[in-house]
Amino acid sequence: MAGALTQSNIGGPPPDIPNFPAGGGGGEDRDRPYRGGSRQASITGIIVLMCASTMTFISFVSAMVVRRGLNTDWRHFQLPHILWWNTGILIVSSIVIDCARRVLVRNRRRLFNWLWSFGAVLGLAFLAGQILAWTQLEARGLYVGKGPASAFFYVLTWSHAVHVIGALLPVLYIEFRALRWELGPGRRTLVVVSAIFWHFLDVIWLGIMGLFVFWA
Amino acid sequence: METRALSRRMRVPRPRAIVRAVFSTDHPAIARQYFFLSLAAVVFGVLLSLLMRFHVVHPTAQVGWFERLWPVKAIGGVMTPELYLSLLTLHGTVMIFFVLTLAPVNAFGNLVLPAQLGAEGFAFPRLNMASFWITLLSFGILIASFTAAEGGPLAGWTAYPPLSAVGAISGPGEGLGQTLWFVSIALFCAASLLTSINFIATIVDMRAPGMMLMRMPLTCWTWFVTAILMLLSFPVLMAAVILILSDRLGGSSFFVPAGLLVGDLDIPHSGGSPLLWQHLFWFFGHPEVYIAILPGMGIVSAVLSNFSRKPVFSYRGMVYASVSIAFLGLVVWGHHMFTSGINPYSAIAFSVLSMSIGVPSAVKTFNWIATAWGGTFELTTAMLFALGFVSVFVTGGLSGLFLGQPTIDAYFHDTYFVVAHFHLIMGIAALFGIFAATFYWFPLLFSGRMLNETLGKAHFYLTFVFAYATFFPMHFAGFAGNPRRYADFTSFDFLQPLLPLHRWITHSAYVLAAVQLIFFWNLFWSIRRGRQASENPWRATTLEWSRRRGIVVRGPYEYRQKGGERDYIMQDEPDAGATV
Repeated sequence: MAGALTQSNIGGPPPDIPNFPAGGGGGEDRDRPYRGGSRQASITGIIVLMCASTMTFISFVSAMVVRRGLNTDWRHFQLPHILWWNTGILIVSSIVIDCARRVLVRNRRRLFNWLWSFGAVLGLAFLAGQILAWTQLEARGLYVGKGPASAFFYVLTWSHAVHVIGALLPVLYIEFRALRWELGPGRRTLVVVSAIFWHFLDVIWLGIMGLFVFWA
Repeated sequence: METRALSRRMRVPRPRAIVRAVFSTDHPAIARQYFFLSLAAVVFGVLLSLLMRFHVVHPTAQVGWFERLWPVKAIGGVMTPELYLSLLTLHGTVMIFFVLTLAPVNAFGNLVLPAQLGAEGFAFPRLNMASFWITLLSFGILIASFTAAEGGPLAGWTAYPPLSAVGAISGPGEGLGQTLWFVSIALFCAASLLTSINFIATIVDMRAPGMMLMRMPLTCWTWFVTAILMLLSFPVLMAAVILILSDRLGGSSFFVPAGLLVGDLDIPHSGGSPLLWQHLFWFFGHPEVYIAILPGMGIVSAVLSNFSRKPVFSYRGMVYASVSIAFLGLVVWGHHMFTSGINPYSAIAFSVLSMSIGVPSAVKTFNWIATAWGGTFELTTAMLFALGFVSVFVTGGLSGLFLGQPTIDAYFHDTYFVVAHFHLIMGIAALFGIFAATFYWFPLLFSGRMLNETLGKAHFYLTFVFAYATFFPMHFAGFAGNPRRYADFTSFDFLQPLLPLHRWITHSAYVLAAVQLIFFWNLFWSIRRGRQASENPWRATTLEWSRRRGIVVRGPYEYRQKGGERDYIMQDEPDAGATV
C-alpha cells in the first residue's frame, strides 16, 4: 500500500507510555511464574461470562415463549411461598456482599470477614431454600415431566442454581483466605469479580421470578 | 485500623515436573496439546469417512472385523444403515467440533495470539488449561458414545428430535449413545466458553503499549470476532442440550410432539416442537461454521501478505468485512430450515441476509487477490495453501449463494449439493487454512524447526487435485437429486446412473486420505529432525517473530519497504527505517 497514509498513522500517534519494563518472557518462568492478567482483565472476563450466561437464559426464555404459544396445554401453577423468602435472602446477600467489597477497599478486614461470612451463609441458605421449593413442588405432583410450565420452571431454576453453586465456590474460597487474613485492598480482584457475578445472579433470579409471577 | 499481621502463606509443595508439564498453563504447551488432539480427531474422522464411502459403493460387502467392532449394527459383517448413520454422526461431530473449531481457534490462537499482541501471556492461564482438559474429557465421552453397547448415536451432528429425543426406542445407539453424545457436546460448550472468555479479555486488556486495535494483525481480529461468535452461540447450544436431555431423561416435552408413533408404540410425550430444536441448534450452528472459517481467513491474509512481500490491501476493509461476516452470521440461521415449514416471509428475510454475507466475503476475496497482485511471490507451502484457500473459498462459497435461495434450496436441500458445498468450504478451505498455519508457525510450535518444503509442496498439489476430484463431483450428484444421509443407493432406479460417479468419489477419497500420509510423515519427522529456523525465517513483520518486547509503533504488514537493507519493518522496530 503506497502513499503517505500507512497503517502506522491510521490510529494516530502512540499514547504517552509510562516506563514500560522490558523483558519478561512468555510462558512460565521459574523465578516469576506468569499469573495472568490484571484486575481490569478479570473484570472484562466476568463481563464476558455474564454475556454467555445471559445468552443461555435468553435461549430458555425464548423457548418458553415459543412453547407456550404452540399448544393449549400450558397450566399455570402457584409458586411455593418459600420462593419469596429465597428472593429476599438473595437480595440481602447481594447487599451484604457488596458492603463487604466496599469495606475491603478501606482495609477494614475484620468487618469484611463478618460481612462476607454472612453473605456466604445467605447464599447457602438460598440454595437450601431452592431444594425445599423443588421438594414442595414435587409433593404437589408438579415434576419436570408433568407439563411445560413446571418443566420450564425446573430447567430455569436448576440452571440458576448451578450458576449459584459456581458462584459460591469462589465465595467460599474467599472466605477461606479472608479468615487467614490474606486479603486486602491490594488483593481484592476475586472479591470484586465474585461480587459482580453474584449481583448478576440476583438480577437473573428476579427475572425468573418476574416471568413466572406475571407471565407464565 | 487493622493491626493483625498477615499470616504466613501455607507452604504448598511444588508439583512434580511431569505434573507441571502435563497440566501446563504455558500457552504454547497448551497449543501443542490442542494440536495433537485435533490431529487425533482428524485421523478418526477421516477413517470414519472412508468407511462411509466404502459402504456407499459396496453396500452388501461382508467385512469380518465390522462384526467384531459393532456386533449389534454389523451382523454378519455387513454394515447396516444404522451403522452408516452412526459413522456419519460421529464424522460430522468430530470434524466440526474437534478439528475445525479446535485447530484454528484453540491450537493456533493459543500458540500465537498473546505473542502477536505483545502480551506476556493470556489473561487467565489456568482457565486456559482447564479448557483443554474439559475438551479432552468431552472427546473421551464422545468416543465412549460411539463404543457404547448398542453403538453410537445415529441422529446426525444436528441431532434433530424426535429421533434424538425419545431414547432407545428410535434405534440402536439412541439410548446411552445419544445421551453420552449430548453430554460430550455440553462439555465442549463449556470448554469453548472458557476459551472465548480468555481470548476476549486478553485482546481487550492485555495488548502491548502502542498496539491499538487498528494495528492488530488480521489474525488477532479474526480470533477476536470468532471468540465473540463463540460467546454468543455456544450458550444457546448448551441451553438446547439441557432441554433435550430433560426430554430424554426427565420426561418433559420441549421438542417432542403429541401423537408420535415409533413402530407401533405411542410415545408418551405431548405438546413439544421439533422446530424449536432446529431454531436453537442452527442459531448456534451457523455461527459455528463461521467460527471454523474466520481464523483461516485471518491466517490467509497474513500469509498472502508475507509471501507477496506487500501490505494487505485495505486493512481497514478487511477488519470491517470480518466484523460484518461475524455479525451477519448470527442472523441467518433460518437458511438451514427453508424446507422445515417456516413462514415463507421469514425465509425471504433469512435469504436476503444470507446472500448479503456474499458482500463482505467478496470484499475479502478481492482484497486477497489485490494483496497478492503485483507482489514478489515466494511460493512456500504456506503460500500455496493460502492461495488454495482463496480458490476453494470461491468455489465452495458460490454454491452457498444458490442454497441461500428458498426456491432453489427446496430442490437442493438434503442432496449431495449441500454436501459438496460444506465439504469444499469446511473440508478443504478451512483445512487449507490449518495447513497454512501449520507450515507458517511450525517453528513456534516445535522448538524452532521447519517443515520440509519439498514434501509440503507435494502434499499441497496432490491434496488440491484430489480434494477437488473428491468433492466437486458431488455437485452433479446433487443436481441429479441424490439424497444425502442415505446408506444405500442400489434400491433406487433414479440413482443407478450415479453409481459410477460415487465410485469415482470413493476412489478419489482413498487417494486423498493416502496423500495425507505425506503430511504426517513430514510433521513427525520435522518435529525431531527438521531444519532449524532462524529467528524470523519468513521475514515477517508481526510480533510473534520478534524478541524485542518493545512498544508497537506501526501497523502489522509493513512490507515493500524500499531503500533499507530489508524490504520489511517489524511492528515494534524502534528505528523508522526506510519508508516507501
